[in-house]
Amino acid sequence: MVAEERLRRTMMFVPGNNPAMVKDAGIFGADSIMFDLEDAVSITEKDAARYLVYEALKTVDYGNAELVVRINGLDTPFYENDIKAMVKANIDVIRLPKVESAEMIKELEQLVESAEKEFGREVGSTHLMAAIESAQGVVNANEIAAASDRMIGIALSAEDYTTDMKTHRYPDGQELLYARNVILHAARAAGIAAFDTVFTNLDDTEGFYRETRLIHQLGFDGKSLINPRQIAMVNEVYQPTAKEILNAQNVIAAIEEARRKGSGVIAMNGQMVDRPVVLRAERVMRLAKANNLVDSEGNYIEK
Amino acid sequence: MTAVIRPIYLQQSRLKKVWENFLTARGVDNFVPEELAQIEITLGMYDESENLVGTGSIANEVIKYIAVCDKGSDQKGARFNTLITALLNQMAQWGRFHAFVFTKPEYRVSFEHVGFKSLADSPTGVILERGTPNIDDYLANLPQAPQQAQNIASIVMNANPFTKGHRYLVEQAAQANDFVYVFVVNQDASLFTTQERMDLVIAGCADLSNVVVVNGGDYMVSFLSFPSYFIKNPDQVIGYQTTLDARLFKNNIAPALRIDRRYLGSEPQSHTTNIYNETLQKELPPAVDVIIVPRLAADGNQATVSARDVRQAIAQGNQAGWENLVPATTGQFITGHLAQLQARIEKGQQINGN
Amino acid sequence: MEIKKTAMAGTLESSDIQIMLSQGSNGLEFDLVSDVAKQFGKAIQATITDVLNTYDIHDAKVKVVDKGALDMVVKARAITVVQRALDMADEPDWKVI
Repeated sequence: MVAEERLRRTMMFVPGNNPAMVKDAGIFGADSIMFDLEDAVSITEKDAARYLVYEALKTVDYGNAELVVRINGLDTPFYENDIKAMVKANIDVIRLPKVESAEMIKELEQLVESAEKEFGREVGSTHLMAAIESAQGVVNANEIAAASDRMIGIALSAEDYTTDMKTHRYPDGQELLYARNVILHAARAAGIAAFDTVFTNLDDTEGFYRETRLIHQLGFDGKSLINPRQIAMVNEVYQPTAKEILNAQNVIAAIEEARRKGSGVIAMNGQMVDRPVVLRAERVMRLAKANNLVDSEGNYIEK
Repeated sequence: MTAVIRPIYLQQSRLKKVWENFLTARGVDNFVPEELAQIEITLGMYDESENLVGTGSIANEVIKYIAVCDKGSDQKGARFNTLITALLNQMAQWGRFHAFVFTKPEYRVSFEHVGFKSLADSPTGVILERGTPNIDDYLANLPQAPQQAQNIASIVMNANPFTKGHRYLVEQAAQANDFVYVFVVNQDASLFTTQERMDLVIAGCADLSNVVVVNGGDYMVSFLSFPSYFIKNPDQVIGYQTTLDARLFKNNIAPALRIDRRYLGSEPQSHTTNIYNETLQKELPPAVDVIIVPRLAADGNQATVSARDVRQAIAQGNQAGWENLVPATTGQFITGHLAQLQARIEKGQQINGN
Repeated sequence: MEIKKTAMAGTLESSDIQIMLSQGSNGLEFDLVSDVAKQFGKAIQATITDVLNTYDIHDAKVKVVDKGALDMVVKARAITVVQRALDMADEPDWKVI
């Protein structure tokens, strides 16, 4: 499991063969940028998209964003070259679509490792994530999430999933409830991130907020997005309250206190502070900083 | 968001209606079967609300029936560029890297911005081309006249098939000039195939040492095949087609090959060919002199030699009829392939045209 | 190396560049259409020439329509068109990219 915790509220999809969008992908403040070599690229332009994303990763400064690429599935002729090119370009995360078993992740892991060796990249430095797009994938979510130490996340992809389930997407999202919960549990049990699916109707702002609040409430790390306009809306939903920040500040202060005293036990208000509480406090502070609710020292900024 | 592009299946009447309405609203309203029949694929561009916002079609090397609506688009011209990309990519997948566009003069600049180059223009329409091989490649591959040649003449013929009349025209040009180009129309739509027509012209001119017979390529087609669906007034069509043909020859072909004369047969029978000859006389001088040679009369008869009569005689199996009109080389070919030629006519090959 | 077949890559959309590569015998013959040809024409040609040279291609016709592409886009499209023209789109030369 990847130790590094980071915010993954927003994963913005960028069509891999569109130079205007590829070059500007870093300016919208998404936590993760996902360059798409799969569905957004027509079959005749797979090679073109691969080289465009490759050159972009080599030359464009995307700031602190986590860089993800959705490669073509392992049943396609593009799969292996996508892996090689992206590993060579030093991508942070490879996202495999249509994952249905741990075997698929293990096969990917092997190819990634040999590419790392071929191109002189540190073995293990390329992270992986899986997109679940079928009933089979949901059923096997636990083993998929735990399939590799390289795994950093697992995502629901609802368009294909609902088709597989013989339904389609509805505004209230009832058809996704089971899958969302399964994926979320698999992610949490494996200690990796859980990403919710995209919301495609750009005109339905209210629906987008409703869905984002729901997945925030469930506990998802964040959401996949198809338009930069959606980033601010997700961040708004994920913004911590003043009370949460205050509470987190107290926990952080208690940690500091324990460190000063050289004590291994963190106590607050006479209670021992558990590790999950510490992690939550750290996460709240990251969210607060990302939303500019605290200054660099962690002091709350009154608005 | 970006619009999506997908084929429009014009066989479906409901889709065809939407397509026709879209084009009609943008000034293209000629959907004659001759133009539509050549279309291999029609692409449609749709916005997020599934409105048709652009279309274009491919017919061999020609991109036609193009129209784009910029309403709701972020950037003016962006949809046009996306649509042209899609059409060119489709052609590239078919192994075609060369495209022609025939369009209204006001759209010329838009096409030039995506790499098209104008070959000729007239007040009602322009021809542009793009890609490779282009007219420069075509001209570079033609034999050059000897350096010392002063007068270089040219004749464009379909030669379906090569007759004594054609031979007479070539002889006249060969006697009066240092060098003669005979361009054989490339379009394969005649009773005699392009290869057969070429071979018969070459055989029929073999003894004339200063004559070279070449394929007219994409640039000396039958002017009647120039698409004209975007011109509203039918009276303007023939003027546009012949003017474009004349200017293409004058601006591109003649200077590159140092051609300074164009020979034409007089055309007492055909109204359109007469208009064509008049247009050439109006457009080509002074750079290129137009010389009209009166038609050869067959064996002192009043009737003139015509390839149409040769085809008629073939259809009737009248050997004396064609032998009287063609040189021996052509006659031998006809005699040797009579059954084949008659079978083509029976299959429906038109023999009354040019 | 000799160009086996004509190939095209890239689009005519904003920030992109479309390159068509075909057989030639007279060095690299460029034909460039760009609104910014005066400022960037030379740089675009230089980038494409670099890519062609790494594939050992020294004779070709190169028709280019530029729509304001960044250098990295020029390079990506040049690599794509070469691999297509050399019939190796499915087996990239990993030493080059």
